[in-house]
Amino acid sequence: MSEQVESLIRKEYSAGFHTNIESETLPPGLNEDVIRFISAKKNEPQWMLDWRLKAFKIWQGMEEPQWAHVKYPKIDFQSISYFSAPKSLADRPKSLDEVDPDLIETYNKLGIPLHEQEMLAGVAVDAVFDSVSVVTTFRGKLEEAGVIFCPISEAVHKYPELIKKYMGSVVPQRDNYYAALNSAVFSDGSFVYIPKGVRCPMELSTYFRINEMNTGQFERTLIIAEEGSHVSYLEGCTAPQRDENQLHAAVVELVAMDNAEIKYSTVQNWYPGDEQGKGGIYNFVTKRGICHTRAKISWTQVETGSAVTWKYPSCILKGDYSIGEFYSVALTNNYQQADTGTKMIHLGKHTKSTIISKGISAGKSQNAYRGLVRMGPTAEGARNYTQCDSLLIGDRCGAHTFPYIESAHPSAVVEHEATTSKVSDDQLFLCQQRGLDAEKAVSMIVNGFCREVFKQLPMEFAVEAGKLLEVSLEGSVG
Amino acid sequence: MSEFQSHALMLAQQSKGLAWLNDAKQACANLWQAEKWPTRKTEAWRYTSLQSLESTLWSVPSEAQLDGLPDELMALDATRLVFVNGNFSSQFSSELPESLTLFSQASPAEQQAILTKFNQVAKVEKHLFSQLNTAALGEGVFLNLSANQRLEKPVYVVYIHTDTGASDYVGSRLLVSLETSAEAVVIEHFITLSDASPMFNAVTELDIGENAKLKHYRISMESEQSLHLGSVHAALHANSQLTGFTLATGSRLKRIDYHVRHVGSGADLDLQGIYLPKHNQRVDYHTNVEHCVPHCTTNEVFRGVISDTAKAVFNGRIHIHQDAQKTLAEMSNRNLLTSNRAEINTKPELEIYADDVKCAHGATISQLNDESLFYLVSRGISEAEARVMLSFGFVNELVENIAVEDIKVWLRPRMAKAFGQNDDVVRHLIHD
Amino acid sequence: MFVSDTMLKINDLCAKVEDKEILRQLNLEVKPGEIHAIMGPNGAGKSTLGNVLSGRPGYEATAGHIEFKGQNLLEMDPEIRAREGLFLAFQYPVEIPGVSNMELLKASVDARRAHAGLEEYSAIDFMKMAREACKAVNLDQSFLKRGVNEGFSGGEKKRNEIMQMMLLEPSLCILDETDSGLDIDALQVVANGVNAMRSADRSFIVVTHYQRLLDYIVPDYVHVLANGRIVKSGDKSLALELEAKGYSWLENEAV
Ligand SMILES: Nc1ncnc2c1ncn2[C@@H]1O[C@H](COP(=O)(O)OP(=O)(O)O)[C@@H](O)[C@H]1O
Ligand SMILES: [Mg+2]
Repeated sequence: MSEQVESLIRKEYSAGFHTNIESETLPPGLNEDVIRFISAKKNEPQWMLDWRLKAFKIWQGMEEPQWAHVKYPKIDFQSISYFSAPKSLADRPKSLDEVDPDLIETYNKLGIPLHEQEMLAGVAVDAVFDSVSVVTTFRGKLEEAGVIFCPISEAVHKYPELIKKYMGSVVPQRDNYYAALNSAVFSDGSFVYIPKGVRCPMELSTYFRINEMNTGQFERTLIIAEEGSHVSYLEGCTAPQRDENQLHAAVVELVAMDNAEIKYSTVQNWYPGDEQGKGGIYNFVTKRGICHTRAKISWTQVETGSAVTWKYPSCILKGDYSIGEFYSVALTNNYQQADTGTKMIHLGKHTKSTIISKGISAGKSQNAYRGLVRMGPTAEGARNYTQCDSLLIGDRCGAHTFPYIESAHPSAVVEHEATTSKVSDDQLFLCQQRGLDAEKAVSMIVNGFCREVFKQLPMEFAVEAGKLLEVSLEGSVG
Repeated sequence: MSEFQSHALMLAQQSKGLAWLNDAKQACANLWQAEKWPTRKTEAWRYTSLQSLESTLWSVPSEAQLDGLPDELMALDATRLVFVNGNFSSQFSSELPESLTLFSQASPAEQQAILTKFNQVAKVEKHLFSQLNTAALGEGVFLNLSANQRLEKPVYVVYIHTDTGASDYVGSRLLVSLETSAEAVVIEHFITLSDASPMFNAVTELDIGENAKLKHYRISMESEQSLHLGSVHAALHANSQLTGFTLATGSRLKRIDYHVRHVGSGADLDLQGIYLPKHNQRVDYHTNVEHCVPHCTTNEVFRGVISDTAKAVFNGRIHIHQDAQKTLAEMSNRNLLTSNRAEINTKPELEIYADDVKCAHGATISQLNDESLFYLVSRGISEAEARVMLSFGFVNELVENIAVEDIKVWLRPRMAKAFGQNDDVVRHLIHD
Repeated sequence: MFVSDTMLKINDLCAKVEDKEILRQLNLEVKPGEIHAIMGPNGAGKSTLGNVLSGRPGYEATAGHIEFKGQNLLEMDPEIRAREGLFLAFQYPVEIPGVSNMELLKASVDARRAHAGLEEYSAIDFMKMAREACKAVNLDQSFLKRGVNEGFSGGEKKRNEIMQMMLLEPSLCILDETDSGLDIDALQVVANGVNAMRSADRSFIVVTHYQRLLDYIVPDYVHVLANGRIVKSGDKSLALELEAKGYSWLENEAV
């Protein structure tokens, strides 16, 4: 590692703490040395470092995409810090008792149930604080079932064959600008492996939180569901309020082997910026899954946070009879901008996909659905149904729909429907006449509008999602 | 700069002079020259390659003679204007009423009127091939109706191409201006008489004044080898009405754009389109409807039947600006793929910045319905005929809406023939 | 329980909609336990009265005073009026797709009870009550789960309004042409609902076109509203007279 970087880090120690937790944060900047540093910090084998460096080369030759319906100032990738870890975790805790109590307090504030005894819901949690996975709960019980659920940094050491085989197999390094960046600098994330025929005994869950200033978060998640297995996974995200924008560029790869099923749910509540549009997270995420024969991948997302969202969880329906689903609620308020949707790439015969997208725009926000449905020349008998609805609240916001529909097989059937409407005065008045105040009425109408998607979420998160919408809509009606 | 892009500037020089339009022509030549040439990464050209423009020495054809009027013309009681290879043919054209004039024959007053209207509705800076059209402009038609004026007969403009042995660039221009409460019916018809491969570049501007009503039909059924880059630009003022109909069979390269702007409250657009590419043909329709003011309505319906190894593109965009409250807009695009190797790319877009609006769009892609097919077969109809009947029916619903009976009569058999050459399978459809 | 000798007292009420004067110095007094029927030609302002009373945005009282249970009604927000016990059964109930009837009901009953300082009903108890109410108006229980008025027939919408009224236990019920479009069986259902709720501390204003409703709901008073004011008041026999003679003989009196 270069001495310069080392010395810079040492200088940086004294400054920039946000909570009481001491962090070890790399100074801003991105070059090969930084990548070597990250890799060395994690004690990575040479092949992992080589993979990162290759991605970095690719990234350097790429241009930031411009096509999305979002506007933000050009990101200076040299002003971002690419590594930050709570210092007290430099030696990873062996058990919960070793975790810094302040950190646990932070999670409690966020309502994240870290302690196993608090986790009545039976959810196993991996928590990623800034760039590092701090604790993974319930590991014992999962191991019994043969399920691997650990930080990806750990998987690199323990399961190098799986990582080598699958990392980058669904989202290649050169897939897109942010995926390439993530491949070069990814910090941590979750790794899940469900062996053949196993039904994961509990919901798996990861909470992400950006704490430090000027840090980017680049986690990477890899889920492999072997033949006939089944897993349901939920991620939640939050960040503290800050005036600067922060970058979050994650990659999620899902592999569903024959007859396997993966359900991936996201409740995204990154800091959206304030009422004037100051601050907030840039959420530029690549999520994609591949379905083998008769496999099924189902993406459910509830997106209320982030200043700018750029995200298209996708399914490659490679195997015959495989199924892809996308259920999304994206709510934008104030100056938020979202360009989100999905891609369903039908390659196999009789593959099926369903897209239900509900966009809600309030305040001065812009909310776009962008989706691709592609019926390849081999997609005999494939079907897609897309329903994409927009709800407008207020007269300064925008709702947009950009569906790309491509079909190269006559027996493939594609149906796309979209509507845009507003919360009507008559609806509000009926609710008021029954004793509800306008905000409550809007929240009920919005929840109703989203019902089809909420139904897809695990029970306890559906409730959370509903509350989240309510909070996010505050102040949106007169 | 692509080879074609620089070569096209020569076309501009070849086109004969209308000196009073030189400034506009030059401005567009400059724009054209400065354009970044589109690639597959350019959103508007994502699915359509301009490669077939390249490696060809395009030239502006000189006057050509026709022995007689081709059979392909519609039998219409109309004021007819015939162009052959881009040149006006007075021999085959009707006598022009006062409200109609050729650019080349415009009086100074008319020149002035043209100059104030020309490229006002068409936003040339946003439309590549309108730039070329203007830069290489040789002749144009100006239809100018004053307030309350109502044309007795439809205006039928026919653009004919006949083989010259060269690679012909055929430009055309139609400028329609309707003042308050004026009414007109305009038909544009593109015809090729050989298997040659000319390139049509046709621009139509429709300025529809307050409370005015225009019916505009645009039929493009040229030869398989031809190329066609066309655009229709319309501005709808308060309470005006545009009923548009467009039909295109495929060809080597066919790209037709509709840009419609609602600029006055209470305007109403009804736009229907049919595309029928087969063999290895291409058709690419891009429509863009802008609602800039409140209380306007748009109803847009496009249907396509795509056969063999043909490819079609439909990109329909409805853009509702912030002030366009109470907009009602609906767009529907339905596609029938009748072969294993046919392809359709459709992109119905809604961009909405106003809140009190009701919008919907729908798109479907499917093949012929097995049940319907079986129903017909079970009534003793051959499967081949049943297929043609169903394909025909799929688009004929739109033809039935055409208000000018003679167009319908002309179109039905030709549309049927587009689905089946064999008389056996179409005879029941072309009875009348 | 509420004690006062007036439920509603309207003095010289003027109201306009979109700059159009609709109500002109309307006076009406309703005492607890009374049923008042309001009849009148189309466009007379009957719905406007209901809308002004319930505080619908766009309906502006320009002059006059309304006292509701001793309070100044015009100063209250619409939801507060509802929580205080004013209920309007709409002439055209709007559809709210996605929000189920049950959700709306629970939320409004909760809001009303919280306002009165009462405890919320448990979900189970409330479910029972809702089922009972459905039965009372002859609506299948599946209607509780459906979106509010979504895809309901005209008659179903009206019965749904009565069902909500039963659960909310209001003190003043305004029924705006709840009988229009109902067949005789449905009409009886509505009337039974109203009659079952009749009590000494609850009042009704029943807006109707048809005398036949008044055979089932017997009013204490009948008023004729024309040209924005009450032009004649009487007892039940006035309704019969109106049915026989129409309104035109009265309209002239209004001007
Ligand atoms: N929202 C509104 N906007 C404009 N005019 C209205 C509105 N509501 C009612 N009016 C007008 O007020 C008058 C009274 O209407 P309404 O109270 O509905 O009559 P009724 O219920 O007695 O038939 C009518 O002329 C009607 O057109
Ligand atoms: Mg009424």
